[in-house]
Amino acid sequence: MPLLEVTNLKQHFTTKKGFLSEKTIIKAVDGVSISIEEGKTLGIVGESGCGKSSLGRSVLQLVEPTEGSVKFKGEEVIGMNAAQMKELRKEMQIVFQDPYASLNPRNTVRQILEAPLIIHNVGSRAERKEIVESLMDKIGLRKEQLRNYPHEFSGGQRQRIGIARALTLNPKLIIADEPVSALDVSVQSQVLNLMLDLQQEMDLSYMFISHDLSVVQHISDRVAVMYLGKVVEIADVEQLYNHPMHPYTQALLSALPIPDPTKKRDRIILQGDLPSPANPPSGCPFHTRCPIATKECAEIVPNLEEKSTNHLAACIHV
Amino acid sequence: MDALRFIARRLVLMIPILFGISILTFVISNTIPGDPARLILGPKATPETLSALQEEMGLNDPLYIQYGNYMAGIFQGDLGQSTYSQRPVSEDLVRYFPATFELTMFAMVITLLIGIPFGIISASRKDKIADQITRVFALMGVAMPAFWLGLLFLLFFYLKIGMFPGSGRLDTGMSPPEYITGMYTVDALLTGNWPVFRSAVMHLVLPGITQAAITIGMITRMTRSSMLEVLGSDYIRTAHAKGGSENRVLYGHALRNGVMPVITLLGMAFGHALGGSILVESVFSWPGLGRYAVNAINYLDFPAVMGVTMLIAVMFILVNLIIDTLYFFIDPRLKHD
Amino acid sequence: MLLEVNDVSLSLRRDGKYSKILDHVSFQVNKGETVGIVGESGCGKSMTALSLMRLLPDKAKLEGSVELQGEKITNYSKRKLEKVRGNQMSMIFQNPLTSLNPLQTVGTQIEESLILHTNMSKKERRVRVLKLLNDVGLPRVEELIDEYPHQLSGGMRQRIMIAIAMACEPQLLICDEPTTALDVTVQAQILELMNEIKEQTQMGIIMITHDMGVVAEVCDRVIVMYAGKVVEEAPVVELFQNPKHPYTRGLLNSIPKLGQRKQKLGSIPGTVPVPENMPVGCRFADRCSHVMDICKSTVPQVTEIKENHQTACWLYDEEGGNKDATTGSNQSQTTLHY
Repeated sequence: MPLLEVTNLKQHFTTKKGFLSEKTIIKAVDGVSISIEEGKTLGIVGESGCGKSSLGRSVLQLVEPTEGSVKFKGEEVIGMNAAQMKELRKEMQIVFQDPYASLNPRNTVRQILEAPLIIHNVGSRAERKEIVESLMDKIGLRKEQLRNYPHEFSGGQRQRIGIARALTLNPKLIIADEPVSALDVSVQSQVLNLMLDLQQEMDLSYMFISHDLSVVQHISDRVAVMYLGKVVEIADVEQLYNHPMHPYTQALLSALPIPDPTKKRDRIILQGDLPSPANPPSGCPFHTRCPIATKECAEIVPNLEEKSTNHLAACIHV
Repeated sequence: MDALRFIARRLVLMIPILFGISILTFVISNTIPGDPARLILGPKATPETLSALQEEMGLNDPLYIQYGNYMAGIFQGDLGQSTYSQRPVSEDLVRYFPATFELTMFAMVITLLIGIPFGIISASRKDKIADQITRVFALMGVAMPAFWLGLLFLLFFYLKIGMFPGSGRLDTGMSPPEYITGMYTVDALLTGNWPVFRSAVMHLVLPGITQAAITIGMITRMTRSSMLEVLGSDYIRTAHAKGGSENRVLYGHALRNGVMPVITLLGMAFGHALGGSILVESVFSWPGLGRYAVNAINYLDFPAVMGVTMLIAVMFILVNLIIDTLYFFIDPRLKHD
Repeated sequence: MLLEVNDVSLSLRRDGKYSKILDHVSFQVNKGETVGIVGESGCGKSMTALSLMRLLPDKAKLEGSVELQGEKITNYSKRKLEKVRGNQMSMIFQNPLTSLNPLQTVGTQIEESLILHTNMSKKERRVRVLKLLNDVGLPRVEELIDEYPHQLSGGMRQRIMIAIAMACEPQLLICDEPTTALDVTVQAQILELMNEIKEQTQMGIIMITHDMGVVAEVCDRVIVMYAGKVVEEAPVVELFQNPKHPYTRGLLNSIPKLGQRKQKLGSIPGTVPVPENMPVGCRFADRCSHVMDICKSTVPQVTEIKENHQTACWLYDEEGGNKDATTGSNQSQTTLHY
């Protein structure tokens, strides 16, 4: 049984510009099915507006999904009452992109790290102190730094504190939403190393959301590629990066600049920009930019199907 | 979305706002201690006549009935009878409103002519002498009470050097121009009556500047901060990178962007000026709505207070509607969204 | 030689004190060459670009000389420099939305460069603007010319910025993180467009980026900056295959590479020092895994490794350096930190 199993999840937002105006429905997440095994990392990759962040948030129930099912350890999460939800939050945590905006600037690191323990009534004062100090050790900060405030740390250190906060309650699953996108590459690597170490040490599962294909490749076991609210391809990481099936995945991978000046490649350059999620194309959402699109693509909505073992793609031409 | 639909929507939205204002004013004026009937009859009235008048004025009815009666009147164009002037309130409003409107518009024109250039100068010479001086003046304008500033002006410009007249709308002995709009300057212009026009303008100067003092301060400060924000923006850097000169960048790119938020504030400033007219008109004996309102309040003249409040509210909403519509045409981002 | 930057130093006033942002930066750009400037945020990449254009805040102190086609533009008056900006030397920026005036149509904004630097008639300018829009690969140009920036997508906006920069056919184009704010498929389009433009025009390009992938993709030569100083300079292949400065190595080792999954990445401990608190000797000493005593006390001079490849590091300096320290291969010296 997978740790997390998401089936046909939909997250639709209704926006209304104001009194007496029409409303538009944005299908941020439109029928996504994914699962994460214990101790493994599922990477979610896609461009802006593809719904990857919304997916993370609706899995965590930070926003209530419109439709579908989210099962954590086999138990349905959608529709849980407040007490069950509180228990669930212990096991599922989130790390945000901007570590500065997500840490309360008026609290010391000790207060930030201790807060979840107090809320969930974990341990005595002394035990809490011990937990917090061992966390600092895990993320490579000194325990004297516990009395400092977030602004006294660098971006990378703040992100490590963000990770530590997510870890206080010994969760099983961490949803990391662009956790290294705001960081310089030299600092980004520190955070990635830390996340990999912690995964081994604490047997964590990650849902790693990022727009950066090389980072996702580095940390993930399995990768789902999203486009306009839908998963268009999902496979184990080697399989996906070496044998991408979906034309969008192929284009995405070929667009990635490779840090090796001796490798010159032929690029698939996509025409045009991402369509607006408020007004997605008919049929296959990718057909407007797809180099191999045919007439049928504008009509048929392709299903995500297993094309080879454990390798699913949503394209009628594959 | 086109402009017409936008305006129509705003007009529809006006109705609940006006209802809200009418209820609020009605409740507040009726909970003020004091009995209008007693005030009319004076301290020597007998209890019988008092209760008869109270009954006649409907003061014994529950508040919601009184309100219902009042609103029923409004829909027939009847704003009630002023207990003080003994005339229909609507008649009084028509009589006094043009004077106030003239003064307020004059003050707004001064505000724009002084406030926006001051703000621009202040921003483009940030932290230099010109900026410091304008900022002090703007602060003084905002901080100084209007009645006190009015008294200072009277003392100096009228009593001491006699440069401007001190009270009323025209020199004594001069008869007003033929009634067209009720605004003396406009009417005098329309009828080509130059001596009256000159006198009307001279009379506007002191109260106009007094009334504009606060709004000038508001607009200068807003223009300054908005211009500073714009001058620090990326597209200003792009304009410089294209090779535009300081002046070209300032007037070609920064000005229109920087003045946009100021336009929004203009509606607020107008409301401020209308409200401020109460004090200014008292200081300069300006026969307008402000003075009428002061009298009405003193005599617990509820119909008159209601009438003035509703009129000012309608004006305020209309001016803001005009400004929002203007915005709609200036900012292309609103048109296409 | 197209551009020659010699010993440019820049001080900015912060909280009443001047602090040195750039320290004796020197480099050259040849005709038809793309030079990358890389480094972490806060290393002075963007400030170098803005210094070339002299688009600096008030009270900035700029020293040294910048020569564009043999003309020393650092001596130019404000007026005279305005004739150069957007004409011989153009710049595009990171965020295409905020870099365009929201209240002017796309056409007006491109046309402005032509008004400023050419004697074209109104009609000629329109023809030129339409051609520019076409050249940067935009569709339905006749309508687009009257549209506003907010109606366009991020990629289209950056194309507009390029059209503005290209309007007067400059000899030098400075690009400050031009694709950082864009999605990867759109980034590929823009990089492709820039490569096309470069081939057609033979202009020099300065490409400022933090993305080593972009550097490898478009640059001929690379300048690595650290804390306001140039620490290494080399042709792009040489730099990726034979990086010398420990900082350059650190940067290259910290990039996740395809096919090396879940391996430890190299990293650089600590952060870039702030200008107010600059180390006395080598500015990288506090973060360097090869640090020696001399590094902490004396600033290393630029040393030639081989032709066109130079670095400022004591490891390679005959007099001060301990030659033995250089023998280790760069890959194995990756240090693990977090």
